[in-house]
Amino acid sequence: MGKVDPITLSVVRGILETTQREMTLSLEKTARSSVFNLAHDYSTALFNAKPEMILQGQDIPIHLGSLIPAMKAVAKYFGDDIHEGDLILHNDPAYGGSHAIDTCMYKPMFYKGKLKYWTVCKGHLTDIGGPVPAGYNPNAKDIYAECLRIPPVKIWDKGKPRNDVLNLIFTNMRARRDQEGDFNALIGACQVGERALIRMLDKYGEDHAEVCINELLNMADRQMRALIKGVPDGIYEGMAILEDAGHGFGDFEITATVTIKDDGCHIAIKSPPQIPYFINSYEGNSHSGVYLGLMMFAQLPPPYNEGLYRCVSLDFGPKGTLCNAAEPAPHMNCTTTPMETLTDAVRLAFEKAMPSKVAASWGHANGCNIAGWDTRHNEEYVTMVLASIISGAGATPQQDGWHAVGPECCFGALTSGDIELLEHSYPIIIHKYALMTDSCGAGKFRGGSGTCWEVEPLDKDMTFITFGEGRRIPAVGAAGARSKMVERKVGRIEFTRSGKTEVVRKNVIETVKPGDRAANMNPGGGGYGNPFERPVEKVVWDIKNGLVSIEGAREDYGVVIRDLTTLAVDQAATQALRE
Amino acid sequence: MRTKYRLGIDAGGTFTDFVLAVDTGEVKLYKSLSTPAGPTKAIENGLALIAADLGVSASEIVSNCDLCINGTTVGLNALIQHKGAKVGLICTAGHEDSIEIRLGHKEDGYRYDPEYPAAVMLVPRYLRKGIRERVISTGAIHTPMVEDDVRAACRHFLAEGVETVAISFVWSVINPAHERRAAEMVRDMMPGTVLTVGSELYPQIREYTRTSTAVTNAYLAPILRKYVAAVDTYFRQLGAKNPVRYFQSNGGLAVGQVMSDRSVYAINSGPASAPQAGLFVCEPFGKKNVITVDMGGTSFDITLVKDGVTNINKNIDFLRYRIGVPMIQVETLGAGGGSIGWIDSMGLLQMGPQSAGASPGPACYGQGGAEPTVSDANLVLGYLNPGGLLGGTFPLDKSKAEAAIRTRIAEPLGLTLERAAYGMFTIVNSNMVNGIRRVSVERGYDPRDFVLVCAGGATGAHITALAREMGIDTVIVPKLASGLCAYGQIISDVKYNYMATSPMRLEDEASAVKIEQLFRQIEAGGIAHLEADGFTHETIDIKRSLDMRYVGQVHECTVDIGNFVIDGQSLDQVKEAFHKRHEELYTYSERHNAVEIVNIEATLFGRVEKPKPQHLDTGTAIRKSLKNGWSKLVPGGGGLKDAIKATRPLIFSADGKAIEAPVYDGSRLGAGDKFAGPAVIEEVTTTIVIEPGWSVEPHASGSYLITRDV
Repeated sequence: MGKVDPITLSVVRGILETTQREMTLSLEKTARSSVFNLAHDYSTALFNAKPEMILQGQDIPIHLGSLIPAMKAVAKYFGDDIHEGDLILHNDPAYGGSHAIDTCMYKPMFYKGKLKYWTVCKGHLTDIGGPVPAGYNPNAKDIYAECLRIPPVKIWDKGKPRNDVLNLIFTNMRARRDQEGDFNALIGACQVGERALIRMLDKYGEDHAEVCINELLNMADRQMRALIKGVPDGIYEGMAILEDAGHGFGDFEITATVTIKDDGCHIAIKSPPQIPYFINSYEGNSHSGVYLGLMMFAQLPPPYNEGLYRCVSLDFGPKGTLCNAAEPAPHMNCTTTPMETLTDAVRLAFEKAMPSKVAASWGHANGCNIAGWDTRHNEEYVTMVLASIISGAGATPQQDGWHAVGPECCFGALTSGDIELLEHSYPIIIHKYALMTDSCGAGKFRGGSGTCWEVEPLDKDMTFITFGEGRRIPAVGAAGARSKMVERKVGRIEFTRSGKTEVVRKNVIETVKPGDRAANMNPGGGGYGNPFERPVEKVVWDIKNGLVSIEGAREDYGVVIRDLTTLAVDQAATQALRE
Repeated sequence: MRTKYRLGIDAGGTFTDFVLAVDTGEVKLYKSLSTPAGPTKAIENGLALIAADLGVSASEIVSNCDLCINGTTVGLNALIQHKGAKVGLICTAGHEDSIEIRLGHKEDGYRYDPEYPAAVMLVPRYLRKGIRERVISTGAIHTPMVEDDVRAACRHFLAEGVETVAISFVWSVINPAHERRAAEMVRDMMPGTVLTVGSELYPQIREYTRTSTAVTNAYLAPILRKYVAAVDTYFRQLGAKNPVRYFQSNGGLAVGQVMSDRSVYAINSGPASAPQAGLFVCEPFGKKNVITVDMGGTSFDITLVKDGVTNINKNIDFLRYRIGVPMIQVETLGAGGGSIGWIDSMGLLQMGPQSAGASPGPACYGQGGAEPTVSDANLVLGYLNPGGLLGGTFPLDKSKAEAAIRTRIAEPLGLTLERAAYGMFTIVNSNMVNGIRRVSVERGYDPRDFVLVCAGGATGAHITALAREMGIDTVIVPKLASGLCAYGQIISDVKYNYMATSPMRLEDEASAVKIEQLFRQIEAGGIAHLEADGFTHETIDIKRSLDMRYVGQVHECTVDIGNFVIDGQSLDQVKEAFHKRHEELYTYSERHNAVEIVNIEATLFGRVEKPKPQHLDTGTAIRKSLKNGWSKLVPGGGGLKDAIKATRPLIFSADGKAIEAPVYDGSRLGAGDKFAGPAVIEEVTTTIVIEPGWSVEPHASGSYLITRDV
């Protein structure tokens, strides 16, 4: 079974992709929490016995890189104590997890008595225990004040469910019914994957399949190496600023140093010491941040597997730093903050290496979770509001950024859920879910618009927890993009109580009463290129559509409108401003 | 007595198919080139063709048709090319952007592609006008409608030259008062403007879907209106007795008025008739589990029927627009005779989705195409007649096919020509099989329980290979395969969908009574519609379904329920239907958990009498000389060998080795002429490849029954 038959190879590749798709679909359709089934905040992947990731789905990028160290940590923990019919649960960042509310299910797949593959799912639950509903606790000084930590634990032992363990876990979580339903969905998806892989082995044989899968890993390796080889050798540094998100320690710098030598790439991260605030990133999560920056640059077509990263070595800096956190650092916000800044730093380093191949940054997530009591059914409710983190995408060298498709760590894989379905599931009134004037980063190609999500509780007080940042520093533009009107391009929260509006730019736990409103504004994406080079007619079209104001046109784009009704342009004044 | 006809006209991308069913049981198939610029032109051309063939005038044919049925792509083309009408949207203030936010989603498969463009808006932001008004989830009015906002919107639309208006408010499905009042005001201020009201078009819960569906409807309505008027007039002038029926994406027929008002039902009209046709050709064999596959030049369409019931999709993204209304589930992928083989950046052989199209077409067409396509591979494998297609009237150049495959595929991969061709065949089959899995396995159906029905001109060469890969034992290939969709249309019924929303937990008798009431209400509207169209109590059928889920779930599943009165007693029967469906789809149910309903839907059918089925005589035909010097085929009297017109070397394995196999002339095979593969059957419009291990029996109903040898 030496040489690979190119035809079987293509077929095996198709089977792996279809398998992952089937897992994803099953998860989406059966899950309970809206974070799963409306928002698609979950991921699925396949590993071989080593374990190496043999297929990375395209679900949520931030989950997938992190599944590589997590899978390895889980396999290492159990060593040879892995048996047919086992099912392992894990969420702890100390074992390669991202943030603990993202809960992973690992199913070892045995074939003829031998461990062959792992089918793995990961998903954002609506709650993971701890003092604050939905897991995000801006007041947590350590991880113990955030959530229930689950190190790798068998919830099925040789096919027998460990109901005592499951009961221990569910007893520590809010909205138990939803959590149970979501565990079932994760388990179901692993089984769907297992079934498909068994079928593949039945048909193509173990040896043949293995040869093909190894070749797919090698091909990904060759593809990434060829790409890196095309980047000039050198050392490139990118630095991005993580703004003070309410912790009071001031701004931080995160630096990525990319060293390209021949077909190899080394990425070293430098970040300040960890802080007693929920924005520390453990190694698993930082893996994803760096891989995402790399993949955004590489823009390689699917399928993706671990072979892509063979020529890439990583150094997250000393343990105990913001991007290489040590226990017991609090971390719940890490998949967006500081991850987005970390991704930006990596992207900026690559921009220096190859300026033509880089897109602008996406708006950083500045979102909210809500919780309270539903008097319609006398039930507790808790959920992350996915609509509140939908930001604008960065512009690229060829086109404007997409509106409302962020955050970057999800790359358009999230969906925010229909407002009627949300109002049906939770006792809320969503007054607004809209694009925002002047929120797009200016540029020859402009960034995508951010979104405003405004809510009022139906008849009982609502707990409103905010997280994230991007409230002072707008999304970083590329290739000479710049914006003057920064104020409207950054995120913020507006609480309107008895007609008075208060603007909040940090992470807080607030109460919103019926009749009062909270509006979560999420930033737009960065622009690409000099905004004065944006064709005037495009700016006028944006004004006509309310994406750019008259003032914004003048300030950001140097376009002066002389007639507010016809939107006729003052050519002379425009030319003067643009020169 | 005069001959009676029924005429089906299915306009496809390249060809418009005409199926004429004669009351003698004869069914004839014609093709004319489609004319997207003036769609009625293709109809005229086709009728001229038929008239010439039958020696009677077009008006004589049309006036002797009990029904003329049209499947049209005008809606689809307008949506693909973004050539719809200028739309204005009236919506709830604060929610003007839901169709542009699209729930914050970017399509799977394009995530890392920074150049994938955003979807083109069918109504730009400046024509989306928010009205201060708000109904909440209970149906209560939170903010009364500010009527001046509606007036201002109308004035804006008039000034901007808007041709068509959509109205869609949040929760209008629970309380449509604001929407109705706004509609009244628009009719007043903008008389003659085509108006679409969300809660009337398809009143299901989901604001984004409803608004997007209403906008798409508004976008297409003026175009469909114009088209329908032209076709209706044309047929009326030819003396048509009955109004033309149009084929809808829901798999049923509609009169022109409905097509004009509910244009969104027209967008995928053609392929949606495949399940109906599949069921029909399977009927003589007693099969009700049917997968139809239709391979044309650029695309491959798959549909599925289980127990005689067609898979229906709701709430899907169609051409990047969210459409709520029920559409026959047609899985389409870029795999056709023209699909191009190429080697990707990983060094792997890929087939499609790019296609050589009709021009330049596959390399073997000799029209300058240099890319190796599926047709080229099939020619090299011996599946297609090197003497040409369509009875030799369309020549093929085998050397060009060989050159394209050799230089682009075989040499780069280090394979022989034959192995490369078989590799191309294998990969495109694998793509199609993955597509079939999506409509079967992913929906909880085991493909081995199904019959595979072959439709489309290019499918025949792949049909036994696909069945082999899927583990399917029975294949049916109608002689009319290449026009099967048009045939499906002439045997369809009139079909209208009606919906109401009423989210509630199924707890007590009151909820049961409410459901029954809502059903009666929407059904009454439908019955009135059908009665006006000449249907009676005897010819009207009603099918009920409920969208249900467990409390806490967000995605509901559609459950068909019987026609019993829903009350306190039968409520358990309703719940049981849901538990069962959930098990079927997702392998488990949660009988201890509460069940809720979201939408209720009634489908009303006006049963149309079916034309007489096709009939194939027994025995191999022999050629008889006529006195005038011509000759004709006469059924019976021959032996099977009389139907063999040649033998050809065919390749059926990855090693590229060929087997010499017989080529049968389909027109000479009679019912009961059994034979075994390997073989090729050549019909005028399609070529059927029988792999070794399969046997064929032409059936009296005009189909080939192909079964796997035990």
